Amino acid sequence: MSDTSAVKERPKHLKHYFVDSDQQFEASKMGMWVFLVTEILFFGGLFAAYIVYRAWYPDLYLQASTELDTFWGTVNTAVLIGSSLTVAMAIRSAQLNQIKGLIINLWITISLACVFMMIKYFEYTHKFHKGIFPGEYYTYEGIAHEKANIFFSIYYMMTGLHGVHVIIGIGLMLFLVYKAKKGAFSSEYYTPVEITGLYWHLVDVIWIFLFPLLYLID
Amino acid sequence: MSGHHISSSKFLWAIGSALFFLTFLTVAVTWYHIPSPWNVIVAIGIASLKAMIVISFFMNLWWDTKFNAMLFVTSIIFFGLLIGITLLDTLFRTDPVPAF
Amino acid sequence: MATTDAQNIRRLQVQRFKPDESPKEHYLNAEKGIWSWLTTVDHKRIGLMYLASIAFFFLVGGILALVLRTELLTPARNFIDANTYNQVFTLHGAIMIFFFLVPSVPAALGNFILPLQLGAKDVAFPRLNLASFYIYTLGSIFTLIAIFTGGIDTGWTFYTPYSAETSTNVMMMTLGIFILGFSSILTGVNFIVTIHKMRAPGLTWNKLPLNIWALYATSIIQVLATPVLAITVLLLAMERALGIGIFDPALGGDPVLYQHFFWFYSHPAVYIMIVPGFGVISEVISTFSRKTIFGYWAIALSSLAIAFIGFLVWGHHMFTAGQSSLASMVFSFLTFLVGIPTGIKIFNWLATMYKGSIDMKTPMLYAMVFLFLFTIGGFTGIMLGALVVDIHLHDTYYVVAHFHYVMMGGMVMAFLAGVHYWWPKMFGKMYSEFWAKIACGIIFIGFNMTFLPQFIMGSQGMPRRYYNYIDQFQPFHQFSTIGAYTLGVGFLIIAAYLIHSLLKGKEAGSNPWGSRALEWQTSSPAPHHNFDHTPVIINGPYDYHKPMSEFQLGIAQSHNGHHKDEKVDVETGTAQEKA
Repeated sequence: MSDTSAVKERPKHLKHYFVDSDQQFEASKMGMWVFLVTEILFFGGLFAAYIVYRAWYPDLYLQASTELDTFWGTVNTAVLIGSSLTVAMAIRSAQLNQIKGLIINLWITISLACVFMMIKYFEYTHKFHKGIFPGEYYTYEGIAHEKANIFFSIYYMMTGLHGVHVIIGIGLMLFLVYKAKKGAFSSEYYTPVEITGLYWHLVDVIWIFLFPLLYLID
Repeated sequence: MSGHHISSSKFLWAIGSALFFLTFLTVAVTWYHIPSPWNVIVAIGIASLKAMIVISFFMNLWWDTKFNAMLFVTSIIFFGLLIGITLLDTLFRTDPVPAF
Repeated sequence: MATTDAQNIRRLQVQRFKPDESPKEHYLNAEKGIWSWLTTVDHKRIGLMYLASIAFFFLVGGILALVLRTELLTPARNFIDANTYNQVFTLHGAIMIFFFLVPSVPAALGNFILPLQLGAKDVAFPRLNLASFYIYTLGSIFTLIAIFTGGIDTGWTFYTPYSAETSTNVMMMTLGIFILGFSSILTGVNFIVTIHKMRAPGLTWNKLPLNIWALYATSIIQVLATPVLAITVLLLAMERALGIGIFDPALGGDPVLYQHFFWFYSHPAVYIMIVPGFGVISEVISTFSRKTIFGYWAIALSSLAIAFIGFLVWGHHMFTAGQSSLASMVFSFLTFLVGIPTGIKIFNWLATMYKGSIDMKTPMLYAMVFLFLFTIGGFTGIMLGALVVDIHLHDTYYVVAHFHYVMMGGMVMAFLAGVHYWWPKMFGKMYSEFWAKIACGIIFIGFNMTFLPQFIMGSQGMPRRYYNYIDQFQPFHQFSTIGAYTLGVGFLIIAAYLIHSLLKGKEAGSNPWGSRALEWQTSSPAPHHNFDHTPVIINGPYDYHKPMSEFQLGIAQSHNGHHKDEKVDVETGTAQEKA
């Protein structure tokens, strides 16, 4: 029981299978990037379906996209870009140990994400009103193309899956707010904020491609 | 602490503004009639630029270890393979089915 | 001694740590009680839980196979009707592929051995690892529900439009596979990060065991391919639920597109299934030839080459599906390329054995069986890859024989080699070498009896998935069925002596095989945190010409993690050399 033993005080967040905080942080970041690769391939399948059908039926896409409201699509794009900005600010706050700033920025990001979902909700209900449902429930007569249901099936799948990812992101950020309020984060340890931020930015990037491909076919 | 690049507030706002501007540009471009296939190429081009800005400066890949950037590039390559080789089939089907 | 620039060189004073031959405490008894198992984040325990699960599914899949083969004894109905037959072969395929083969070496053996071979204390994300296991369990529950509520009769490939229209419970099954995919993805994430970030000091990329290279390549495939399967089954589920119509011609879609999406995952999936087996074979052949591996970089890089080229060939499953001739020709050409890196491995393994000191223990025997059976399987794969030949052989028993030779004759044999190789490390016990070799012989004979006739049948035109057949095929089918039962006997013997080993097996020392690999330089069963020191690597993984002591070097740790009451004196000067 010698007092000359050199037991270093390990920070609480440092797991025993890592040597130091840096290794743990870099490992978590790399792990999230690998996961983002899977997300890109996941959405990639839908983009592939989009491309295959657009190459087969270019007129369909031209006609059908007139049903999508460019204005609200643009607003949603701006909303998501804004939320990317605020989540980057949130990470910056954490890096500078400004926990209050972190929480505020997270709340703003969450609010912007909710605005996005609300606009999406109104877009969807407007379409349902007209009879533009996914798949075999499609009853809209306004587009003179026999494959109209295919375009909207792809539209609903892509924006729907994207919306699910937005909701998951909101959930993750609410959890971050909860943990931040309990004092879990500091400039020494903010890894969950960093990797949630990476996830959120990818959700933004996916929308950046969805927007012109669906709304701006001219 | 290595690997913890901290961007200044001004820088983040500048990136955000660039993205807002490019979004406006994406829409503005549709007000002019560009013949196909260039309209798609321009649209995807601007979207790719926006995506690269988000990935490099919001997701910090610009300052991150090269391996993470390689991960991202790899996903794009394989996505390209998925579409490219599928299109080798879907774009080149001839009617009627050729006799064996 | 000339002093070099000391600022860039970090000197470690290492000492030798001989493993405890008879450990009192190890990972199996470190924590007690079933709750400790259910909430464990220890990769070794998680590996064992996977092992038990896949053994269970192998049993279920095997029984289904025996049902099929029994029905095929005569052309007429024996004891099940045609619709039931369709369900049985669908389940046999889906269970064997998704619940046994895909997780087998990566999740079961890989989880156990990867951190040990890297000298790490655990994987990078142990809680994610446990989550992976529970996701696998959840996916399998969905599948079991699907079996008992309507079954599925589409074939494991779920081709549209039939899968969108059949009244069987495709929905439950596709949701089960969707959930299962996440398990595969998260394991891949864990392995990639662990290999990059948690190697022991001195373990540079050129000293990595080939098993690690194989698991690395597998993880890359898992991460890139599985998401496409996920979106495919999601689209199929939506097709059934909402009539989405992307794949159904009645709704304006294209069924061949489904096949593109499905095979974009499922072809690389076969490499997920076999590449870890290649890793095991590298380890086993080197250890039991007492010789360094021939062509280390060739084998290491060929795993990566297979991973990449494997993504380019999926259309060879679709030669007769109606895809364009251009695509078919391109795919056929690319398929021939994928055999090259595999061939390189086979030759390197043979060269490793040449002039080695062969110790024909059970793992080595399985490795030999693997070389023979997998070569046949691989050859016949290339034959099927020839476009014109495949037109005749597609959807016949030739294909069935081919994939059973590679998946069972290849992967299952490699898996058994791995189980028999690492069994002492997992449980600290040996098994009966005599019965193990008997079982191996029975399995080899049974396997060839089952599947060799199927090549002949297939080339003569016997279609696969058929419940009936014409009389000329009956002798082949009967011979095949006898072989299937022989196989069953062989596996039962394995189960028997392995269970006996757990209960009454001879105690294994830390390194019963005399291997130089890192996992053998710690006690058996492995300690709770894998090593009681930080291992330091100075040699390549197969340097049998170096003494064993050079593979047991390490530095003392100042702590062992979460046990705050443990204090070890760390001297910052030189440590004494332990005898």
